[in-house]
Amino acid sequence: METLLVVAPFAVPALGALGYAAAGWRRATAGLAAVAAVLSLLAAALLAREVVVRGPLEAGPLLRADAVSAFMLIAIAAVAVLVALATPAHLATELAAGRIEPRTATRHVVLVQAFLAAMALAVLAADLGVLWVAVEGTTIVTAFLVGQRRTRAAVEAAWKYVVICSAGIALALLGIVVLNHASAHSGTGAGLDWAALAVAAPQLDPGVTRIAVVLLVVGFGAKAGLAPLHAWLPDAHSQAPAPVSALMSGVLLSVAFYAVLRVKVVSDAVLGPGFARALLLAAALASLVIAASLLIAQRDYKRMLAYSSIEHMGLLALGAAVGGPLATAAVLLHVLGHGLAKSVLFLGAGRVLQLTGTSRIADVRGLAAGQPVLAGSIGLGVLALIGLPPFSLFASELGIARAGFGSGTGWAVAAALLLVVVIGAALVNHTSRMVLGPRREGPGAAPAPQPLPRATAVALVAGLAACVALGLTTGPLTGLLAAAAEILTGAP
Amino acid sequence: MSALGLVGGLLQAVLVVGGAPLLLGMMRQVRARLEGRAGPGIAQPWRDLRKQLRKETITPRGTSEMFRVAPVLMVAMTLVVAVVVPFVGTASALPAVADLIVVVALLAHGSVAIALAGLDTGTAFGGMGASREVTILALVEPTALVAIFALSVRVGSTSLPEIVGSTLDDPARVVSPASLLAAVALAMVIIAETGRLPVDNPSTHLELTMVHEAMVLEYAGPRLALVELGTAMRLTVYLGLLANLFVPWGVATEPGVPALLVGAVAFAVKVGALGAALACAEVFLAKLRLFRVPELLAGSFLLAVLAVTAAYVLG
Amino acid sequence: MVHAIQLLNLAAGALLLTAVLVLWRRELPVIVRVFAVQGVALAALVAALAREEGSAELAAVAVGCLVLRGAVLPWLLRRALAGAGEVQRETRPVINVATSLLAAAALTLLALAVSRPLVDLAPTPASRAVPFAIAVVLIGFLVLVTRRHAVSQLVGFLLMDNGITAVGFLTTSGIGLVVEIGVALDVLLVVLVLQVLTGRMREAFGDTDLDELRELHD
Repeated sequence: METLLVVAPFAVPALGALGYAAAGWRRATAGLAAVAAVLSLLAAALLAREVVVRGPLEAGPLLRADAVSAFMLIAIAAVAVLVALATPAHLATELAAGRIEPRTATRHVVLVQAFLAAMALAVLAADLGVLWVAVEGTTIVTAFLVGQRRTRAAVEAAWKYVVICSAGIALALLGIVVLNHASAHSGTGAGLDWAALAVAAPQLDPGVTRIAVVLLVVGFGAKAGLAPLHAWLPDAHSQAPAPVSALMSGVLLSVAFYAVLRVKVVSDAVLGPGFARALLLAAALASLVIAASLLIAQRDYKRMLAYSSIEHMGLLALGAAVGGPLATAAVLLHVLGHGLAKSVLFLGAGRVLQLTGTSRIADVRGLAAGQPVLAGSIGLGVLALIGLPPFSLFASELGIARAGFGSGTGWAVAAALLLVVVIGAALVNHTSRMVLGPRREGPGAAPAPQPLPRATAVALVAGLAACVALGLTTGPLTGLLAAAAEILTGAP
Repeated sequence: MSALGLVGGLLQAVLVVGGAPLLLGMMRQVRARLEGRAGPGIAQPWRDLRKQLRKETITPRGTSEMFRVAPVLMVAMTLVVAVVVPFVGTASALPAVADLIVVVALLAHGSVAIALAGLDTGTAFGGMGASREVTILALVEPTALVAIFALSVRVGSTSLPEIVGSTLDDPARVVSPASLLAAVALAMVIIAETGRLPVDNPSTHLELTMVHEAMVLEYAGPRLALVELGTAMRLTVYLGLLANLFVPWGVATEPGVPALLVGAVAFAVKVGALGAALACAEVFLAKLRLFRVPELLAGSFLLAVLAVTAAYVLG
Repeated sequence: MVHAIQLLNLAAGALLLTAVLVLWRRELPVIVRVFAVQGVALAALVAALAREEGSAELAAVAVGCLVLRGAVLPWLLRRALAGAGEVQRETRPVINVATSLLAAAALTLLALAVSRPLVDLAPTPASRAVPFAIAVVLIGFLVLVTRRHAVSQLVGFLLMDNGITAVGFLTTSGIGLVVEIGVALDVLLVVLVLQVLTGRMREAFGDTDLDELRELHD
């Protein structure tokens, strides 16, 4: 029973992939993804409840579910539900417009399910090696999703994505090999199991561990979109089809950051908290500066959302650098909140692209007049992203700031808040020009008011509502967040 | 200064001076045969030297002492190296001078003397050849020094008799990454310093391709004979150095006529074999364009650095 | 009979030498051939370790390495190169060849410094060759970053992977069989993906010179 519970969040999307591969994409099978996503969410919720009560559950030597894994599984499943609701309409419109063929649509849904399964495997891995294999697996699976449209820009984006991410992840592999070396010579038989490594920390050689930690943070940070290896992110997230961008920005970056959090636990135990803090602060501030400087004059709204993802990953790194239970719980809450808000925005942006045929900000005007629900979702989504109450990102950013000012990293947090304000202004500026104002004739105007498909509208509204609910109270997730923060800060 | 060293040194001097033109002749003969020609015969360089010695000495107007002295300097420095380096026996006539760094410096002095003489003539060809030669020299000397460093790491000193002696004691060490990389780097150094293909064509007189020949264009008669003898001696000495650093078998370890004879014969055979190999390789190589030469030399520098790394890490 | 440690040292030297040759040469078919030789050197390294420790499992892994990195991957690279048209030379790398060779010398010294704690932790004859493997990783990264042709970048990535595998075997003879198989599979799949993308790039852009990829920028 325990094994089944641990394996379910991985098995359900895997079975979904097989199902789609066998049956193909048609009207009858369109709902399969949504069903699989809801089942994963239920499995994740059950697993969370068990883990809070009984502690970490294991399934064989390679899979382990603790509070952090369970929380990440909930985040993955929540975003998967939103995306699964919106995908049928998206694919139907693309098919009708002749931009893709039915074979491409089938491949799309099979790869998305495999993508979800790989992410679930990554957060359920007990062994850093299995975690690495799963994260590299996500790169491989999404390579063809990013390049799906076969245009010059899409092929370029797919190439840069695979090359830069694989290069970064190769550095992470070197870090794993070095850490394995330290572990093998510590005489504790810890192998690469991160929980055992945390326990065996006093026996690990500090010099070797330091090299390993730098490589791991840079390598997994590349996959998470942290500077300096972030160059693939704007291209890949802007060229991928909207549901895929939502998943990649919403959860894939967070799963890569989850790997960094696990490494930080080991690093803090062996080298003291200062080392990882310095690394993560540098990455966080660099990412925020890059995001701010490239958002101000941004001309493409999908790239704008991608740079916003870099900003939020920088905020996650800042929170992790600050450390302590409050900041860590805020980081996890931010993961969930950002996932929901960003996926709503990307789904909306995808719909806008399909309606107007252009991804330039300057060519989209007066959305609110023709598409009230869509424009409202986008507007509220951007407000959520910049951290306004009552959305949950306000609570998580406030938590990080409070913890930061209390723990001696106040200067970094102050600089980060300043950059966040600049970014917020830029985002609001661009979005208001797209959403508000009278409807405009000519290129970029929606040809005729096409109603928003019901499933997509449900996805957009539900995502925003969940974000608001989280902002008001963490409710049933409180215990889970507390347990997860405890594990990540190494408190016994 | 042991007996082995003294006798060996004298024997080496005679061998090098007498045998260098023969080496050159053999290399040209090998190349001719491979190219399908009959060739002039192995003794042709000696016949050329005899012809040049009988000619009148000409000094171009406007040249200074440097022009007159350079060939003598080059031959003298090469002769010192020929006497001092352990080619025939493991002991040296002047152990203080038989240090790898000193030897490389002496040989470089020879090159610099000829380059200065080329500048001294005041002609366009002389200046051009000198500048090309010095460019190549500047890029090659670091490689030579680093490769020597790699060889000296495991012995703990740069003294040539010690290095040769330690290789004799432990022959298996030649088949290690440090040795092999250093050998390749030194081979490239030798090709660059003696002006062979692919760095420089020793038989060309085209303005585009000359390096060494351009510097000595104004020499005639006995001085040209000295220059040619000096060039041949440099090639012999360099090849002998390469042979004895890595394949020192046959070298005499104690003074005695049979041992010294064996040493002399082994030296001649090894240098001859290396020269023939070089001549064969030259048949298949084309001269590199001048701006590609830094690439080749940077590569050889990298190999020398790798040799040092290997010597420290694995040795 | 060549001593196992001597074979190990020679294989490590060959690993680094082939990495340097990939950086040095311009012609892409030559680069692919040199990469195949590096695969053989890596297999020889693992075989020497297997001989030193008398482990049959390592011997099997050596054979697998030979097949994957000495035969399959070069074959895939040659196929990617087959349709590349006349552009079979790397004519304008970002930094010229002489400078990249000097940079490789600097990277080798950096690898030496970085791997000092690794070697000090377990000074066995095998772990003394770790600086070579780390130098191969750094040189692979240099190739990846400074070359403009798609296949050259691919070879750079594969050099990094060869180096990391070598570090893994030299430090603790592997990181668990499951993980190793997973890593090998991932590498194979990445190469397949990039090969397909190279084909698409040729359809969309006309050739695989990555300088053409300039559509996306801010």
